[in-house]
This record gives sequence, structure tokens and C-alpha cells, in this order.
Amino acid sequence: MRKQRWGLYIHIPFCRQKCFYCDFPSFAGRERYEADYTDALCRELAEQGVLYREKWGRPQTIYMGGGTPSVLDVALLEQILQAISETFAWKGINEAERPEFTVECNPGTIDEAKLALLRAGGVNRLSFGVQTFDDALLKRIGRIHTGAQAREAMELARAAGFRNVSMDLIYGLPGETQAMLVHDLETMVSLQPEHISIYGLQLEEGTAFARMQEMGKLSLPDDDTVEAMYDAMTSFLPQHGYARYEISNFAKPGFESRHNLSYWQDVPYLGIGAAAHSYLEGQRYENVREIPAYIEGIRSGSGVRRQEEAMTREIAMEEFAFLALRTARGIDRRHFEQRFGVPLDAIYADAIAKLKRQGLLAEDTAGVRLTELGMKYGNVAFEEFLL
Amino acid sequence: MQNKNIRNFSIIAHIDHGKSTIADRLIEYTGTLSKREMEAQVLDNMDIERERGITIKSQTVRLNYKGKDGEEYELNLIDTPGHVDFTYEVSRSLAACEGALLVVDAAQGVEAQTLANVYMALEHDLEIIPVINKIDLPSADPERVKKEIEDVIGLDTSNAVLASAKTGIGIEEILDSIVDYIPAPEGDENAPLQALIFDSFFDSYKGVIAHIRVVQGHIKKGMKLKLMNSGKVFEVTDVGCFKPQPVDLGHLDVGEVGFVAGSLKDVRDVRVGDTITYAENPAAEPLPGYRGVNPMVYCGLYPVESSDYDNLKDALEKMQINDAALVFEPETSVALGFGFRCGFLGLLHMDVIQERLEREYNLKLITTAPSVIYHVYKTDGTMIKVSNPAELPPQTEIEHIEEPYVKATVIVPNDFVGAVMEISQDKRGEFKGMDYLDTNRVMITYHIPLNEIIFDYFDRLKSATRGYASLDYELADYKESKLVKVDILLNGDPVDALSTIVHKDRAASRGRQLAAKLKEIIPQQMFEIPIQAAIGSKVIARENVRARRKDVLAKCYGGDISRKRKLLEKQKEGKKRMKAVGSVEVPQEAFMAILKID
Repeated sequence: MRKQRWGLYIHIPFCRQKCFYCDFPSFAGRERYEADYTDALCRELAEQGVLYREKWGRPQTIYMGGGTPSVLDVALLEQILQAISETFAWKGINEAERPEFTVECNPGTIDEAKLALLRAGGVNRLSFGVQTFDDALLKRIGRIHTGAQAREAMELARAAGFRNVSMDLIYGLPGETQAMLVHDLETMVSLQPEHISIYGLQLEEGTAFARMQEMGKLSLPDDDTVEAMYDAMTSFLPQHGYARYEISNFAKPGFESRHNLSYWQDVPYLGIGAAAHSYLEGQRYENVREIPAYIEGIRSGSGVRRQEEAMTREIAMEEFAFLALRTARGIDRRHFEQRFGVPLDAIYADAIAKLKRQGLLAEDTAGVRLTELGMKYGNVAFEEFLL
Repeated sequence: MQNKNIRNFSIIAHIDHGKSTIADRLIEYTGTLSKREMEAQVLDNMDIERERGITIKSQTVRLNYKGKDGEEYELNLIDTPGHVDFTYEVSRSLAACEGALLVVDAAQGVEAQTLANVYMALEHDLEIIPVINKIDLPSADPERVKKEIEDVIGLDTSNAVLASAKTGIGIEEILDSIVDYIPAPEGDENAPLQALIFDSFFDSYKGVIAHIRVVQGHIKKGMKLKLMNSGKVFEVTDVGCFKPQPVDLGHLDVGEVGFVAGSLKDVRDVRVGDTITYAENPAAEPLPGYRGVNPMVYCGLYPVESSDYDNLKDALEKMQINDAALVFEPETSVALGFGFRCGFLGLLHMDVIQERLEREYNLKLITTAPSVIYHVYKTDGTMIKVSNPAELPPQTEIEHIEEPYVKATVIVPNDFVGAVMEISQDKRGEFKGMDYLDTNRVMITYHIPLNEIIFDYFDRLKSATRGYASLDYELADYKESKLVKVDILLNGDPVDALSTIVHKDRAASRGRQLAAKLKEIIPQQMFEIPIQAAIGSKVIARENVRARRKDVLAKCYGGDISRKRKLLEKQKEGKKRMKAVGSVEVPQEAFMAILKID
């Protein structure tokens, strides 16, 4: 066994209701599959998890996302937690050496019992999908909870002993003003989560919002307003003790999400569950997306994982570069050279020079990273790193 | 073959009146190719030709036909390019014939381009056989069209053939008419050789293959021949005819049409219109009518990727191997870097070359707006020719400028006369005359600056006349005009490749339109981009491209990196046709913006 940093992702594709903006692989009204899905998930975990544990040792991070993991009832959650703890056999290992273990929760689907169960099962980090504290907005975007429930969720989490809690916020929602966003930010920091993820709303194909937009029934804030919101958000959070360590993520010192960072730092990860993505031995994979097909694939042993476009050295370099640039640390020269056997400048000197000229990139001996302006125009910078 | 059994002819027609289909039927009917060997429209064998339904290169084919009198005839068909850009090439092809089929659509009637070509054929004393095609169409009115041909062109239509190339009606009659009415070639087999080159192309095995008509004398394999204009001497390695593939016969006799090839490597030595004679005992005179290449329109061609410069140069050189009318020389633009100034016979020629460069050589190109050649008379008494607006000297050094005018002939139904006149007037045209072709159709003649023809004249005519207008033009003369250069500044810096020469009276409005159009075309960038139009130091128009809004990919679901990369790749693809001019990314279409304003 060669010790290797790696992450485990577990996908729970169920939701009570599909949010209007969401194009992730998640489904409402599929409760009938929950039990069979959990069985299949645990089986995949037992097979694949063991395989990689034997290869690389325990994962440093585990992330259960969705969908809404917290929508599962206590029995199913327990079954999954049990399977994880059996696979990685961490009973008796002290708390500090255990993996960072995050579970995404909807404030509307948790209670004391579930939180206690998670805590006991080794979960040490929660991520709440808050999105906004404004009840009218929450309703308008298809969320099933209220602002009060989000505040309450925080209290419950603390009471259950969670010392590392993250909250998600979305801005640029239909009918939202800058004042409303500022109010959300103020509420958010008053609750003192350790970590905040914040995203601008994007209209994705196939979502309810995309259809509404087509029919002219969606009134989104104009570009200038969204821009002002972005500016407000990026200055407000650091002023309140949250450092921007990645384009969309802010944290108090020491509470950066290690799992999230691993996506940007070329760390391998194993994805378990329908539509889960894996990055293993330099190749990217995706599991089948449909729940019944996933269950059937696991049951029959015919396999659920298929490779995406084969990774060439070129693609590997591109991804290494533009993913690393999402982080405040940027691209580490030594790391790049170690990975590819050539200096960063041998491949990207022109791109770096051009982006520096445009004020999007800063450089020192350790590496290159986006400037504040560069974070704003991330896509412009990333594109330059495509070969 | 005895001369009395040879017929040399071409086909004259307006685009879409069925020239190529008739050629196909003739080839098929005479058994030159079996039906199985026929590809639709055999003679247009370049992809672009087939797609656009036009003929760019001349093609020649020999048909063997047994006439009604039981004799074997050799019919040489010379298919001519069907576009105003290639008028000179057409004239050489016609000079190689004794007769022509005039194909007129039974529903559409005579068009401007038909007229121009008929007049050219008449100048060469060709016997013309009218063929009224597409008589199977419900809207066909052969009698009206016949009358039109008689009234407008003054041709006797008593021997006209009614045909439908699509269904095969009238094909035999056409062949018999060719035998009956077109004169056999004359000439002395033993006189010093005079063979007219009416086209040439490059074959990688045989070198340059010249399409020729033997006017006097004869050619045999092994003979030493000379091109009278270029002076090149070569030994005949292949001589024969096209069926339509080249067939080596070992000889071509007086009056015949075919090809000759030898140790000729450069198509530019084998110019259309040149005369081939014997290296020893040459003809006293070349055949009349030779003219050098004469580009009418110039534009700059630049690689989007500057590293593609050498590839573009190679591609142009290769293209020139087969196209003696293409001229180019290196040019440098402050905005676009290293590229080439290229001269073309006309807009179609330009389009086709560009498209072939991109398609066959896989090059991404930036094309600057086309320009005519201006004669600039300077205060120091000299005259320079300017085909690149950026090279126009400062106003203070210019005494006056002359620009090329063309004689434009437009044929339209009665109802649209007003529209044609309005557009032509707007295009600085000088009205020259108007003739009624019949009770419904009118031929209008204008003198118009070529510069204005290039800028969407025909498009505007077409849309204002619901597609009924047909246009033909020929270079008339150079005339003095009050012209100025309008410069465009992006972000405060002049962009030489966007400069344009326009008439003084409309400089201000053109400047405004151009700035507005550029505002539409140039995408938002990270900073605000001022666009200015200026004459000298005087700014005549101003626009602003607003700074673009934040642009960053947000949430990444569960490590789905591939999707992110695909989005970035799509974004990058969209930028491929952009050129960085200073700090501004400019899409390739911006350099043609001047053509898009109305």
C-alpha cells in the first residue's frame, strides 16, 4: 500500500422538491427507490472503497452531497454511515486523525435525531443550503424551508456538537436587490458559520428557471446590479473574518474545505452513487446518471462507471492549471514541474505574460495566482490555459 | 479529322438558366460518358463550383457525334466561366469558337449577363443558336422569350431550339443545329503554328496543361514550341483532347480544340490569351487580344495565428500554381501583423480564393474589406496607385484622386425602374441611358464607381427588385472624385486595417455607421472600449463598447471537471476568429464591417 491523499464523494440524488435553478442530478418524487438505492450505494462503497483503501489507505476527506443527503430517513442514513465506518475501520482512531467528513443538509429536512446520528457516525462538518434568508425569495426559487429554519438549523448543529459548519448563499435571484443581499450577508455572519460558499445564480438549460425565462416570466436583476452584488459580497466577507481561499468559497482561518480544495489540487477522488464523478489514476469517470440504471448496474455487477474523454497529457496540464487558479494559492510551480516534468513557464509563459499585462494574474517565484480582477474574470484567465 | 467535320462552340447563359445541365446532357447523349460515369454537372468539378452553381474554370470536352447525314463529327464544347469577374477569360474562350449556344430560361427571359456575353460572342463573329431551355416549366413562355431575343439582341430565332435539359427534350436537335449552323473551322495545316491558350491548369505529373485552340498549323508530340508572350520554350510531351478526362492523342490538327503539355512548371508562364507557336519557324504575329492579368479588387489576407504566416504563403503559392489571375505580395499591418495584399479579378474570385484557403489549407484568416485601385496624384506631380486605404498619403500631399468607374447594365421589370435609379443615384452613379427591351423589361445603364459596386450594390438591387434585377459591368475609366480616408480608432489607437476610403460628402455618415456597426460586432471586454471614426485628426463619430460584466464559472457539482472544461473550450472556440489589436480582441467580421452597413 502506498499512502496517497485522496477523497471520497457519495451522491444522494433525492430531493423533496427540485429547486427551480438546479440542474444537478437530483430528483424529487423518487422516494420509492431510496431503500434500493441505499443498498446499491453501500455495495459499491464496500467494493470500490475497499479497493482504494487497500491501494492508498484511508481517504483524507469524505463528502456526501446531492441532491439532499438529509432527506433520507434515520434508518437509511445509519445504513450508509455504518457502511462507511466499516469500510474505513476508523473505530478507535482519535478524532484529529479522522477524515474531514461533510454532509450536505437542507435546513428543512433535519432534526436533532438526524444530527446526533451524523455526529455519532463520524460526520464532523455540515454544509447547509441556505441560499437566502428571505422567505419570499426562498419560495420563488423553489426551496422548501424558511429563513427561520435556516437560523434554527445552525443552533441545532451547534447543539449537536458540530464545530465546523458551512452555509451556501446564492445571489442574483429573481426580484433580489442589493439591499436584500447585504441583509443576507449580515444575517449570515451573525450566525458565525466557519465557512461560506457563495454563488451567482446561473440559468442552466433544462431548469424551471430557464423555461420561465424563455416565457418572459422571470425578472432577474440586471447585469449592473449583479455586478454590484458581487462587489459587495467580495468586500463584505473578508471584512468579517472570512478569507476568500477559492473563487466561490470563504472561510475562517483553518476552516477551508479540504474536500473542495482537493478538486482544484489534482487530488484523486472516488465517486460513489448515481452520476458521481471520479478522478482516479489521472483519468476522469462518471457513474450512470439514472437511479434505476444505477441500482440495476450494481445488482447485476455489470458496472456503473464509464470513462469520460480520455485524459491526454495536454488536457491534464490544462485542468491542472485552470483548476489550481480557482484557489487563492494558484498554480504552484514546484507542484506543476513535479507532476509534468517541465517547468510551468515552458508551457504557459505566453499565457502568463498576457494575463499579467491584463492585470488578471500575479506572479512570484512560488507560482501564479489570480488577482482580484482575475477572480472576477476567471473564465477569461482559465481559457488562456487551454492548449 | 477533316476540318469540315469539326465544330467548336461554347454555351452562353445566365446563372441558373441551365448551362451546365445542357452540357451534361450533350455529354451523355453522345456517349462520351456513360450514364454511370456521369456525376451530376460533370463540368463543374470543384466543390465550390458545385455548391454555388457556378463555373470558375473553363472546361473543355470533345463529343463525337454521328450527324443526320451519316458523317462522324467532332464537336468541341468549351464551357466558359459564368461570372462578370471572368470576362476576359470568357472572351478568350469565345475566340476559340466559331459558334455558341445561347441558353435562355423559357420563364425568365434575357438577363443582363446573357446580353453582355452575347454581345461579346457577336464581336467575335460567332454563329449563335438560341436554345430556349426549361420549356417543361409551367411558367415557360417560349414565344415571349423568342420575341425578346429578336427585339433585344436582334437575333433571328427561326432556328431556335426548344429544350428541357432536365427531361432531355431537344438535346438531339441541339446537336444537329450545331452541325448544321455552326461553321467548320478554317486554317492552314502547314502554316506556322498559332494556338490560342484559353485556360490552363497545373497537374502534378504533367506540369502545366494548356487548353488550346489550334488556329493555324498543327501540333505533334515531341515538337519544340514557344509561348509568344512569355517567351518560354517547351517540348510537347502530351497533346490531345478532353473527354472530359485528358486523352493523349499524340497530335492536334488545325481547327481542333484540346490540350498541350510539356516541361512547363509555372502557370504564370502560360497566360490565358497567349499564343503558342513553333520554336523554330514561328508565326509572324501572335493572335490578337492578349492582355495581362488585371486585378480589379484588392484585400489584405492575414492569418489569425501569426505563426500561420508561412502556411498562408505556401497556400497562396500553391493556389497561384493553378490560378494565374491571383496576385499577392507581402504586406504589414500595425493591427494585424504580417500578411499579404492580394489582387483578384473581382469579388467572386476573392470569395472563392478565401474559401479555398480556409477549406483546403485549413487556415483561419482575417480578410480586410476589399478595395479598388485608386490613382492618387500628389502635389509633387507624381501619381501612385493605392489599393490599401491605410497607404493613402496625408491629405496635404494629395493634389487629387481618381477612382475607377464601371459601366453597369441593369435589366429589370418596368415596375422597379424607380428603385434601381434611386439606388444607383445613391451609389454616386451617373445615369447613361434606358432602353425598353419589351413592353415590360427595361435596360438601364449607369456609370458607377467600382468602389460602390463592391459595397453591396448588387445586394441592394436584388432586395429592392425582389430578385428580378440582373447586373453586368465592365471597367469604363478613371475619374476624379473627392475622396477622403476615414480612420477608425479603438481604445484611442488607430487600426490601419479598418481604414476606408469614401466620398467626402458621405464620410461623416459612413463614419457614424461604421462606428455603430463595430459597436455591435466587438464583444464586451474587461474594460470600456471607445470607438472613434476620424478624418485626419478630426473625430467624426464616437461609440462605446461597455465593459463586460463579471465572468466566472460558479459551482462545480461533485467534481464534474469535464463539464467545466467543455464550457471553456466552447468559449475559446468562439474567440478563434478574434485578433488581438493592441489590448482589444477584434472578431474577424469587424474588418468587413464596412460591407455590412446600409
